[in-house]
Amino acid sequence: MIALPLAIIWFGAIILAALDGTRKPAGYLAVGVLAAALISSLVLGVDVYRNGSREMLIGGWEPGIGIALRVDIVGIIFTCLSLLVLLTALWFEVSRDVKARIFPSLVLFMGLGLTGLFFTGDAFNFYVFFEIAMVSAYVMASYGETPRQFRAALIFIVVNLLGSVLFLIGIAAIYHTTGWLDMVMIQTQMPLLAENPAILSATIIFVAFSIKLGLFPFHFWLPAVYTGTRPAVAAILSGALANIGSYGLLRFGADIFPRELHAGAPVLLFLGAISIIYGGIQAIGRHTPQEVLAYSAIGQVGYILIALAIGGEAGYAAAILYAVLNSLNKVLLFLAASLRGWIAGAAFAVGAFSVAGVPPAGGFFGKMAMFQAGVENHRPWIVALIFAGGALSFVYMFQLYRNRFWVNQAPDEATTVGALSLVGLLAIGLIGIGLWPEPLLALVQQATDVLPERGP
Amino acid sequence: MILFISIGVAVIFGAGAYLMLKRDLIRVITGMILIGNAANLFIMASGLRRGYAPVLPARGDMSDPLVQAMTLTAIVIGFGVAALVLSLVYRVYESHASVDLRRLSRAEEEQAERDDAFEDRDIPFEELDDDLTELDPIAETAQQVVVQR
Repeated sequence: MIALPLAIIWFGAIILAALDGTRKPAGYLAVGVLAAALISSLVLGVDVYRNGSREMLIGGWEPGIGIALRVDIVGIIFTCLSLLVLLTALWFEVSRDVKARIFPSLVLFMGLGLTGLFFTGDAFNFYVFFEIAMVSAYVMASYGETPRQFRAALIFIVVNLLGSVLFLIGIAAIYHTTGWLDMVMIQTQMPLLAENPAILSATIIFVAFSIKLGLFPFHFWLPAVYTGTRPAVAAILSGALANIGSYGLLRFGADIFPRELHAGAPVLLFLGAISIIYGGIQAIGRHTPQEVLAYSAIGQVGYILIALAIGGEAGYAAAILYAVLNSLNKVLLFLAASLRGWIAGAAFAVGAFSVAGVPPAGGFFGKMAMFQAGVENHRPWIVALIFAGGALSFVYMFQLYRNRFWVNQAPDEATTVGALSLVGLLAIGLIGIGLWPEPLLALVQQATDVLPERGP
Repeated sequence: MILFISIGVAVIFGAGAYLMLKRDLIRVITGMILIGNAANLFIMASGLRRGYAPVLPARGDMSDPLVQAMTLTAIVIGFGVAALVLSLVYRVYESHASVDLRRLSRAEEEQAERDDAFEDRDIPFEELDDDLTELDPIAETAQQVVVQR
């Protein structure tokens, strides 16, 4: 049951690697495989929501020896989100003609890496799945094969490989100090540890995930890569791959290093605030849609970091909710900005409202959760900062909207009915979340119960 | 022994970091591979214990064997990624006829300028006329000349 989504994508990816992905049937087969995996993880998610976390030992080994797959509600939220993002982006690209035979298979391999990473209960296995997702992202970044995409892929690989190595060193350090790779066991051993080794490993792992997320001091690679790659790839990188960073910070920060997270909270608040302001101001000064969205992404992850630093039930709920809505916003915006016509314009406007946090769109509830977390912790400057960040994003989003959909209305030959309807559906979904947020809020509320409680 | 291994990891990591700051792409990649190997050595070192043999001895105690499995996995992943990066460097060389980072960043700047020009192109005249003539003295005088004639 737990392994079913993994098995579906794994076999699908291997079969598709042998097929010619530029042909439509192969492309739609890949879409079908992803849809099947999404449905099976949704079924698993319903089960986890009703009956609590599920655990399985690979290969029937005894507990304590075997590697565990452990699915809790946080993992399943991120799994469903990432698979949905991959499905949308792949379907979008298939409806506009895939340009490389390997592309559908790569998307599936990334889905495999992400699903495995959200399901695993073992720190080293986390690294292995993480690398599966990263390697497919490295190849994907050069998709399109123009000189510009090769440059983007090169920057992406060099910087992110360094991040992966840092993460590996962090895992080795955790293993050496606690003697365990199983995350639950690490969690029980961590409080016994002296402060210095723990804070050192926590810092290394924080830097590794920040590089993936593109937080302020580690953001330098992000604009070049998001501008250089094709829209569908940029949507995948910012909507699905960046989830590694937010999930990793939640899992390692809240679960394994709660004491260190608490100690480092001022630093995280500072970095998050700088990310929001820096990303917003840079985005206002840019012209091309992908560049604006790249800087916007830097700003948006700042909110997640701030929510994490606030901590407690309200903070973690805000972090998860914001991560989910931010992924959906980014996919919608990257895809809609590459299309033309009034449907794409309307969808883009919905995404823009969502980023700015204006009520009919889903993003409002992300911002509201942040407000709530800020107010509950008696930190008025956080409320002010979120308001300022929202105002900045309102300015750059509508500046972009004006340039893209009002002034330059030249028809774009790559706008197809399939792509337009996908973008339209995503926009309707975001408004749907905004109008009826209770299911998502209930889900997030239950997810915070899984994470350990920490006093403010 | 711990000191020697620490110095070894530090020297390899430092050499890799130094190479990564070079302009030549091949050196950058070599630096990346060195840093990856420093991490592998670090994992190996994390399982060593004083007085215990690193691999299965004829007699006596053995230190933790799990780190060797971890290192092996990390080596395989690192090898695959290194092959991928080298092939990408070759494609960059093919399309830019150079592996110098200065050349690549110049190409990136030219691209950014072209992009900005593309985004700012063919703005419909009706939307510009009023504002621009008020702000731009040259346009204003040009208009006056036209009116006078």
